[in-house]
Amino acid sequence: MATSSSGGDKFTRNLVIAMVALVVVVGAGFSYFGSKGSESAAVPSSVSKADGYGIVFNADVPNVPTIDIYEDFQCPVCARFAGINGATISKAIEEKKAKVVYHMLSFLGTESILAANASACAADEDKFLAFHKAFYANQPAENAGAINATFLKSIGAAVGITSEKFSTCVDNGGYADWVKNVAEAGAKANVNSTPTVFVNGKELDRNTEYFNVEAFAKAITG
Amino acid sequence: MNINEIDKFANSKYGPWFGLLARLILGGVLFAAGWLKIFTPAKSQMAVRAYEVLPNSVANFLGIFLPWFEVGLGVLLVLGIAVRLSAFLGGALMVVFIAAISQAWARGLSIDCGCFGGGGAIDPSETKYLSEILRDIAFALLGFYLFRYPLTRFAVEKLTKTQGDQVNGN
Repeated sequence: MATSSSGGDKFTRNLVIAMVALVVVVGAGFSYFGSKGSESAAVPSSVSKADGYGIVFNADVPNVPTIDIYEDFQCPVCARFAGINGATISKAIEEKKAKVVYHMLSFLGTESILAANASACAADEDKFLAFHKAFYANQPAENAGAINATFLKSIGAAVGITSEKFSTCVDNGGYADWVKNVAEAGAKANVNSTPTVFVNGKELDRNTEYFNVEAFAKAITG
Repeated sequence: MNINEIDKFANSKYGPWFGLLARLILGGVLFAAGWLKIFTPAKSQMAVRAYEVLPNSVANFLGIFLPWFEVGLGVLLVLGIAVRLSAFLGGALMVVFIAAISQAWARGLSIDCGCFGGGGAIDPSETKYLSEILRDIAFALLGFYLFRYPLTRFAVEKLTKTQGDQVNGN
């Protein structure tokens, strides 16, 4: 059974093995550091590091439940979730019935990062919720090249964001590092699916509470 | 088919050709599976976490490392270098995957195996544990065949038999 390599081949064999091993290690290191967040990342307004770098509403309202919502702008189920429960969530925010934290993840790819970045630019204009809603209402197909700066600016314009600052922010991807921070915090929080909703740290029941208006409203206000 | 018949087949002139096929299939699958995941590390990490077996930090590490490891094994198998070692590691990896998928199934989790990208929690009606397990069993068998009979056609590394229980196909 034993086999061996013939003489001159041995060197080539070991060289190739070493090269492959090197590529594996360097590649994994590259992936690791490439997806690692940074303490010094620019963060949009209303973002709280303590809340996993999420975009926070009603941060200072006492005695209300905390609702953590993890989504990816490209996830079709998230669009469905936003369509069903978006109004309930907006209402809870307006009436100060809940502290709501949006965590925009980006595991579906680069276009998710672009969209999350643009949503942060919109947050700086106090238009995150409007941008979020308009985006999902017009969600393009996944990673088809449709989510680009032009598209994101048109979503912004549709909800009344016309400032030069927003436009520059979308073009420059200035919050890309923050997007990584959000992703990293989501990984640490063991979020394995989108959308995922926690009320006071407890995940909602995926079978009954995610896509039913009444059940969801009851779950988030208790 | 008993072990003698497999031995006989492996030592026939068809053995090294089957070995080549096994190398290309297992190597190609490992390479593709890894390649489809290396550009979306966050998703791959999510896929590993969704098995709910490993501590979070270990799962996140594996989510980054495994795709590159698969690519590495795939390259070695396709080229035909260090076939015994890489086939053994590939086969062992499949056994780990089979165990991971089986426990997810047994515990009633609803996840996608995340084998070729994707992964994470899915609707219970969309799980396909049985086909994922059967597929991985087939790949594991190819790996262990190559571990036992590493002499194959068109391998970059030319193995020479020293004990002659597999006819040298080169």
